[in-house]
Amino acid sequence: MSESQHGALRLRVKRIEAVTPEINRYTFGAADGSWLPPFSGGSHITVLIPADGDTRRNAYSLMSSPYDTSEYQIAVRRVDDGKRGSLAMHTNVREGDILLAGIPANLFPVSKHARHHLFIAGGVGITPVFAQLEELSLKGSSFELHLAVRGPEHAALGHELKERYGERVTLYGHDGESRLNTMDVLAGRPLGTHAYVCGPTRMIDDVVNSAHALGWSDSNIHFERFEDLGSTGDPFSVTLARSGAVIEVSPEQSLLEAVEEAGHKLPYLCRGGACGECETEVLELDGTIDHRDDWLSESDRATCKLIMPCVSRATCTKLVINA
Amino acid sequence: MLITGIKSRPVYDELTPMASGLIHLAAGQGSGGKALVRLLRAMTPEQLAATTVLYSTESFTGQNYLIDLQQFKVRDLAVFPTNADAVSGLDAYLATAKMGTRLYLTGSEGFIGTSMQVATSYGMNRDEVLREHAGSFVRRVWCAHCGHYSENVTHRIFECPGCELNLIVRDHYSGRLAAFQGVKADSEVPGEMPENEELDT
Repeated sequence: MSESQHGALRLRVKRIEAVTPEINRYTFGAADGSWLPPFSGGSHITVLIPADGDTRRNAYSLMSSPYDTSEYQIAVRRVDDGKRGSLAMHTNVREGDILLAGIPANLFPVSKHARHHLFIAGGVGITPVFAQLEELSLKGSSFELHLAVRGPEHAALGHELKERYGERVTLYGHDGESRLNTMDVLAGRPLGTHAYVCGPTRMIDDVVNSAHALGWSDSNIHFERFEDLGSTGDPFSVTLARSGAVIEVSPEQSLLEAVEEAGHKLPYLCRGGACGECETEVLELDGTIDHRDDWLSESDRATCKLIMPCVSRATCTKLVINA
Repeated sequence: MLITGIKSRPVYDELTPMASGLIHLAAGQGSGGKALVRLLRAMTPEQLAATTVLYSTESFTGQNYLIDLQQFKVRDLAVFPTNADAVSGLDAYLATAKMGTRLYLTGSEGFIGTSMQVATSYGMNRDEVLREHAGSFVRRVWCAHCGHYSENVTHRIFECPGCELNLIVRDHYSGRLAAFQGVKADSEVPGEMPENEELDT
């Protein structure tokens, strides 16, 4: 299996395809030609992207088959006003380049007990579903997909899945008129149905609210946000209690990125406020924390004793964290 | 509620209406009828109209709450002469049930356990089911040697009706089998039996 370098995989860019006006698909192989670590459907990797002299760490879902570890595929949507990681992927990365990436982690696995799997995705949110459907298809599980796109030119990935899975895939918006109605899709489902949603925040909220209105319990509703929750905002400074280092967090970077740039380390996994790995104790605070994660409970947020450095910020005159 | 040191025994709940559900199915047996009555009393008229009750009159302790249950304006009340029939009735109901259904189980450990096996087979999750124990803690025992299930076991040592071995009932409950495990009582020294005792019934 491919050797990792300081815990990072060395990936060679084998192919780059434009699949929509905004989305490129990248196919990677191990730089040394060996096998890559195996993964399960719904997994993501964190890709280290050189950009403007910095390194951006963006998490991307793996969309290739979990049963073929000779290569990994990701899809990257270009976001022009983001933190420029996706822009660097689109403009700087060429076939044959070597990129570093973390080993796969899965925060969006399929349920082992579901009797039927119901996927709802929007736009580039389709990427984890590619690998999940491949896994379920080979296991012979029951599934269906409802995919909404913004127009015919954005429907290429949806057509690929339609080709593979036929009637089990329903597209919306590819013809410029049909629209996804989540109440209709979720209503009247048999017991043991699990819903998975990946897409813009509005779509996730819509599915969760519809499912609740239909009496679904939370353990049957699974979601992953692909939108960069955008840890951008006003600058602030943070003190690391153990070293005494004072670090300035600029408007364009997250607390985690600022700490890494200053040469310190914090634990992390998803870099999107979902997994809980980077949870850090707040020792002193003069001001308020701007919680942007999906991890902390309401009571944790209110007490401001914990912060998720990968996405959350602070409006404060003093912040000391236990790191 | 009996407190035991048996870690594998399920931790039971108290039945109260689960407001997030749209359809309610309450299945009870014997003295569990009391918990069903309390549950139905706590429901709104809308919840009652969306509730089906399955009740088995089989009882180890002789308790019967059928007359009390008949006072409520529920969608349907189905009565069964045995627990096994009630569990079959539950299976038939869940076969066509939709997401949004909440299940309430009450009665003996064996009844709750075998009903839970059915609910699990339809993919119901723990946050869709409440279980309240009622009546005696007689045990359902699975024989590790012949696989026979014995209901209402009250003593530590008993003869398995399946293979006629003397079994000792271990304090180990299997949620999957919905039973305590019974193993040969004198396997170390044949003929040397451990002391018998009444179980925590």
